[in-house]
Amino acid sequence: MNTTQGPGTGPVRPATTVRVVIVDDHAIFRSGLKADLDPSIQVVGEAATVEQAIAVIAQERPEVVLLDVHLPGGLGGGGREVIAGSAALLSTTRFLALSVSDAAEDVVAVIRAGARGYVTKTISGKEITDAVYRVAGGDAVFSPRLAGFVLDAFGTAPADIADDELDKLSARELEVMRLIARGYSYKEVAKELFISIKTVETHVSAVLRKLQLSSRHELTKWAAERRLL
Amino acid sequence: MTTAPLRPPLVRRSDRFIAGVCSGLAAHLGWPVRNVRVGMILACLAGGAGVVFYGWLWIMVPTADEHARRQARRPASPIAPAVSQEPSHAFARGGVQGGVPGGIHGVPIPEPGMPLPGMPPPGMPGAGAFRDGPGDPAYAAPGDFGGTTPAAARPPWFQFRDMRYGKEILLGVGLLLVAGILIAQILGVDVPLGTLIPAAAVLGGASIAWMQLDETRRAGLVDKTKANQAGGWARLAAGLALVVAGVLVMVSGSGSWEQTWLALLASVAVLGGVVLVLLPWALKFWRDLEAERAGRIRETERAEIAAHLHDSVLQTLALIQRRASNEHDVVRLARAQERELRGWLFADPGKDAGQLSDRIKAVAAEVEDLLGNAVEVVSVGDTAVTEGHEALIQAGREAMLNASRHGGGTVSVYLEVSGGRAEIFIKDRGPGFEPQHVPEDRLGVRESIIGRMNRHGGTATITSTAEGTEVRLGYPAVPQADKASQSTEGKP
Repeated sequence: MNTTQGPGTGPVRPATTVRVVIVDDHAIFRSGLKADLDPSIQVVGEAATVEQAIAVIAQERPEVVLLDVHLPGGLGGGGREVIAGSAALLSTTRFLALSVSDAAEDVVAVIRAGARGYVTKTISGKEITDAVYRVAGGDAVFSPRLAGFVLDAFGTAPADIADDELDKLSARELEVMRLIARGYSYKEVAKELFISIKTVETHVSAVLRKLQLSSRHELTKWAAERRLL
Repeated sequence: MTTAPLRPPLVRRSDRFIAGVCSGLAAHLGWPVRNVRVGMILACLAGGAGVVFYGWLWIMVPTADEHARRQARRPASPIAPAVSQEPSHAFARGGVQGGVPGGIHGVPIPEPGMPLPGMPPPGMPGAGAFRDGPGDPAYAAPGDFGGTTPAAARPPWFQFRDMRYGKEILLGVGLLLVAGILIAQILGVDVPLGTLIPAAAVLGGASIAWMQLDETRRAGLVDKTKANQAGGWARLAAGLALVVAGVLVMVSGSGSWEQTWLALLASVAVLGGVVLVLLPWALKFWRDLEAERAGRIRETERAEIAAHLHDSVLQTLALIQRRASNEHDVVRLARAQERELRGWLFADPGKDAGQLSDRIKAVAAEVEDLLGNAVEVVSVGDTAVTEGHEALIQAGREAMLNASRHGGGTVSVYLEVSGGRAEIFIKDRGPGFEPQHVPEDRLGVRESIIGRMNRHGGTATITSTAEGTEVRLGYPAVPQADKASQSTEGKP
């Protein structure tokens, strides 16, 4: 699965290293991911279950948690439950969801719980490094598939002025989502729309916020149909 | 089970008078239905042999739906999709059953939740005496999946609908009979009402109870909602009351009310005693039965998953081991298997099959298998495929082939259907090319993509830079669709 990051379009990297906790119940995947990540990313902890994850995150207070959507333990809520259990840290710790699942319910549930983005596990080491930096910098990471889910959930018609602003995407946000769904990197989106990358990131973060906060009728219905609520 | 039967399977069909035994038998034997029915009636007159035969078949022979369902339990098995030459079949699951190896597949998997024949559990759903639910898609679906069920055995739904009035017809016939008897009495004919009424009551009660045999068989298939259960109980009670009352009146003979009441009281007391004694035993028996059934359902599901994994994942893993030296093959096999498994695990059951997004995904899978590069499809919205969409699909396929061949990396495909208007974007990250510099004799882009779309009233534009190429295909909404949808996207 490709993400929004094309060649050479990664975000500006801070001088310091990023501290990361990897949460996944497959040891093979954890070690593979650790080997794939850029050396500037410091893996400070690992966890295989919901309980372990909450404990390790509370102890290490990492900047980014790479979080598998499906996890054993806890009440069966998986990644969602880890985010809920670490709610107090959400202002300093950011969550990036990892999954092999394409199912909308898995992805949207974990985003609505508070994750800053979603990537699939087949992503390359360079792409995931970029995604970690992007999330650490407070931005959202949207893959084409997640953009597709967003367009599906919010509809493809732009918002009227009368609409509640959380309930629909603005015309510009729709354009950005469409381009991301088409496989454009943030940089390419910026070039296509004649705006800066920073503006693209602002739009994407706004969409993420709407996805997390909207109580829009269609979205709740869409979510309810997929048993997300 | 894997060999095709020489004649249609013996199933009870929906064009029926009583339980569909005769028509099913006729279809199975290849005889005219009328002959079979007349034969059955004659056999009934021959000392009731026909009745016994009919009842036996009624109990033992499944309905067409049940049969199809049982056939459909077997998972489809695209073994090693990457190397087979039919890449699209991962999306037409169950359509192709040929080439299925033995092993687990030879074993017919029993219907989960199907009660043992002749042992009706008390909670029985079902509303009508005749089958209802032709509009329920869950009933239509299995017919399409059962590879061995011939088309002829599928019940035509309009006949089904006719039979929905069966209850009314029965009622009408009953009322006519009553009216006839009354008229005969008025005319002075001596009608033995004393025996006729109880006999009718017994018959009616028995038939109500017996009609549930069909519903019982369906009990495991339909989820047991409260309403259905309540209906089942009510029918059981009504049937029981009618039969008991009829028998009592018949036995007490005289028809004097006092005697009847006494007998009724006595029999209710006896029944109560019997229930009191047998209830714990029956409850235990019922619980054991439920536990056993639940276990069997789990076992069936496990067997189904095992069969699927055996035919897909294990086979692919074996192939990957044998071709470990060829990286290209390994990636291709893994991708194809991943796609197949995803389709199986995450398919949205609420979605109609054969939509435009399915076709595009199938085409993408085909291109992926052919050239080995990943083709990622993201789709938003969907529509039924019309004739005009075929051009869109074919042009999209050509564009994907080009993107995969010349781009050399992952190809991103985005399909958006909004208000009937369909758009496909195919993007690669290859070195790009100048569309106007394509030689005249190269027909791929000029004819297969641009020309084809223009001929069918669609649009096609190609943007190519050093960082990649994007092909945009658009196909307008069908004329009667609403115009507003056209404005959702300013792009071609």
